[in-house]
Amino acid sequence: MEENKKNIILSAKNVVVKFKVRDRELTAIRNVSFDFEEGKVVAIVGESGSGKSVFTKTFTGMLDINGRIESGEIWFEGNDISKYKTEKEWLTIRGKKIATVFQDPMTSLNPVRTIGYQISEVIIKHQGKSKEEAKKEAISLMERVGIYDAERRYDEYPFQYSGGMRQRIVIAIALACHPKILICDEPTTALDVTIQAQIIHLIKELSKEYGFTTIYITHDLGVVANVADVVAVMYAGQIIEYGSVEEIFYTPKHPYTWGLLSSLPQLGEKGHELFAIRGTPPSLFEEIKGDAFAPRSDYAMKIDFEEEPPFFEVSPTHFAKTWLLDPRAPKVEPPEVIHNLHEKMVAITSKGGIYGER
Amino acid sequence: MKRYILGRILRAVLSICVVMSITIILIYTCIPRERILTKDPGLSKFTGDARTNYQYRIWRQAGYLDYLQPSDFCAVSEDPKTCAQGGADYEEIVADYVDRGYTYIEYKESDLGFVTRDYSVPELLINFFANLVNIDNPWYVQDAQNPDIERNYYITTGPNGLPAVACSGCQYKYQLYFDSNFPFIHQNAVKLEFGISYPTFDGLDTMDVINGGQGQLIMTEQTFPTGLTQSSALNQYTCQYKATSTIDHLDQNKFTDNYANCKSNYDAPSMVSTSYLFGIIALVIAYLISIPAGISMARHKDKWQDKIGIAYVNFMIAVPSLAFIYFVKWIGRFFGAPEKFPQLGFGDIRSYILPIIILALLSTSSVMIWMRRYMIDQSNSDYVKFARAKGLSEKEIFNKHILKNAIIPIVNGIPSSIILCISGSVITESVFSIPGMGKMLPDSITALNNKMVITLTFIFASLAIFALLCGDLLMTVVDPRIQLTARKGGKKKK
Repeated sequence: MEENKKNIILSAKNVVVKFKVRDRELTAIRNVSFDFEEGKVVAIVGESGSGKSVFTKTFTGMLDINGRIESGEIWFEGNDISKYKTEKEWLTIRGKKIATVFQDPMTSLNPVRTIGYQISEVIIKHQGKSKEEAKKEAISLMERVGIYDAERRYDEYPFQYSGGMRQRIVIAIALACHPKILICDEPTTALDVTIQAQIIHLIKELSKEYGFTTIYITHDLGVVANVADVVAVMYAGQIIEYGSVEEIFYTPKHPYTWGLLSSLPQLGEKGHELFAIRGTPPSLFEEIKGDAFAPRSDYAMKIDFEEEPPFFEVSPTHFAKTWLLDPRAPKVEPPEVIHNLHEKMVAITSKGGIYGER
Repeated sequence: MKRYILGRILRAVLSICVVMSITIILIYTCIPRERILTKDPGLSKFTGDARTNYQYRIWRQAGYLDYLQPSDFCAVSEDPKTCAQGGADYEEIVADYVDRGYTYIEYKESDLGFVTRDYSVPELLINFFANLVNIDNPWYVQDAQNPDIERNYYITTGPNGLPAVACSGCQYKYQLYFDSNFPFIHQNAVKLEFGISYPTFDGLDTMDVINGGQGQLIMTEQTFPTGLTQSSALNQYTCQYKATSTIDHLDQNKFTDNYANCKSNYDAPSMVSTSYLFGIIALVIAYLISIPAGISMARHKDKWQDKIGIAYVNFMIAVPSLAFIYFVKWIGRFFGAPEKFPQLGFGDIRSYILPIIILALLSTSSVMIWMRRYMIDQSNSDYVKFARAKGLSEKEIFNKHILKNAIIPIVNGIPSSIILCISGSVITESVFSIPGMGKMLPDSITALNNKMVITLTFIFASLAIFALLCGDLLMTVVDPRIQLTARKGGKKKK
């Protein structure tokens, strides 16, 4: 982690996010630190409720009204944005420097405003251009994201667009002010598989062209393998393992990562039940002692229930938060099914699909 | 679009017909004809056969039955005069009527009798719909003493100097004309006829009752076709044909033709106009208050603006409207507002203030709460989240994105509110003694004024359907997703 300081664009340090739910407090993010390298594609994976979205929402100040950053720092362009309170402060970043693409393109656009209005609105607002200039730029953006006949479709309404086209428009809007970071919050979950691949390729291409850092939030490991440079695995409000995509796929170290990879439906054999991690994630209302995954882990040791593990360095870019890496721990092998994962996946998906196209 | 509107109109006409049929069947089968006479003070003046004749005349006028006295049915006789006294072919004509299902009833004080027959339900409906629309035409006038009357339309200059379409041979002289009264263009060519009001407003056409002017006659200096200039209350645009036999020299002094049967100008507007005037002004004020208030409540949800608004809405809903009306009236006393409308009358602006404030405030609460609700619903939607992520300020999100979405369901209701102002307000009009439409329907029902009930049912039903249509058409203007015709869309084939 220390070596990677060179081109850090956004750095989260010991972030704790709490939500007030009726009269109880829920800790959604528990002491997370992570550095995002400029120009890289970072994928944050984890199951529902692990805090992936909440973590990235803190970068744009879009936590729900009952949530707040309890402690920690988020450094972006020399400012600790976790201390931002007013809308005015956030508006210098939101949309302008850090843009977000949401999960559902069907509802992300205002149904009664034209597509053109919704794109050029951002250009006028953030770049201070005139209406005509904004229209010109919006049309070129629409063409760039792959809308045919953009000039004519400029004045159409979202209902006249298909889901994939709407997501293209959402991306066009997000790119309209040349952000430094693009957060893609499950950008393809609501789309069908063929369109998913197109959208992922589009984002990948655009990130090279515009040179922004991409943060993917997803639970689709196929997407991760395809696009990410760095993968961070989140569980119960913490990052429990991170490393380059190869490291996470070939030499995963955390039992939860093992479980996650074993659950890939592609690895299931015909006639056998698909693998699932048993149990449910812990309640975030209570304080979690030790390793949050321990109760569900087949490899849990006594210490996992008593003390929280620190990050152990596997390689200069690969860290995992599990006691199994402690020199005193017994040597365990990851489950058989995820050995040679890459070869297996390529074999399975050689007929088609997005995995293995890297 | 055209096809859709045509379809909607056809369905509207059909539903109006169904509503009217049900109303007519209910009225004529459920209200015994004897009962409508119990409200008539005039009946006690008659005794004996005169009383019987009067009753049957009323029932015929009310549409219950067909009734013919000897002088009527003897008209077909070769010698009507002898026949009407019981001679000539009197017996045969009566027998003929009895064959056709009529009943012959003998008078008690003479040897003569009359024939009568109750209408069946289909006949009742046919009578109503056949006479409903009355289209004026140049062959309307059949005057034996004026057989050479010209039968044509022509353009002329009306009494007020503006061009008008006039007709010779029609019932009305001026078919289409302009003047300074809303809606500025008027016509006499097509009239709806529902019959004669009875027992309240006895003898007047029901449409004239709600449409005719009220109050005192206004005399104005007028020039008549003969060149005579005198102070008169007559409205020359309403002149109807008068049979030559009834034209007197007073008419001849004023008019060069037979169109001398004119209505008068009154200083007070008709019931419909009165209710409409109050309703529209109150409605505009209500929307001007409640839409911004609802927006402000939604924007400052859970802040003091919202709390005050909710307290106000709760108060308005909880307090009975009658109590609220008297409360405002009581406050109004300190500002010298009149207790009743007729105290200062139509000419004084103070007469209007209290009723309009009350009508406006009474309708604010629902629009406010709906507006707030739609705004809050919209502000939780995904596109608002995305608009925020785009970096728009809350103010921009509200004004440019949420408002347009939230106002759509409100807009749908606006035409209905505007058009249905005509029906007036029962309670407010009663408390202030405003001569409007509000109490017409309940009053007509209690007075057993069948024709009036039918008239009002027709008007309200038609307006409601028309208003809904307008609301839906307005939606296509504000909501791009709603289109009445399939528009060419999608990708152009290359």
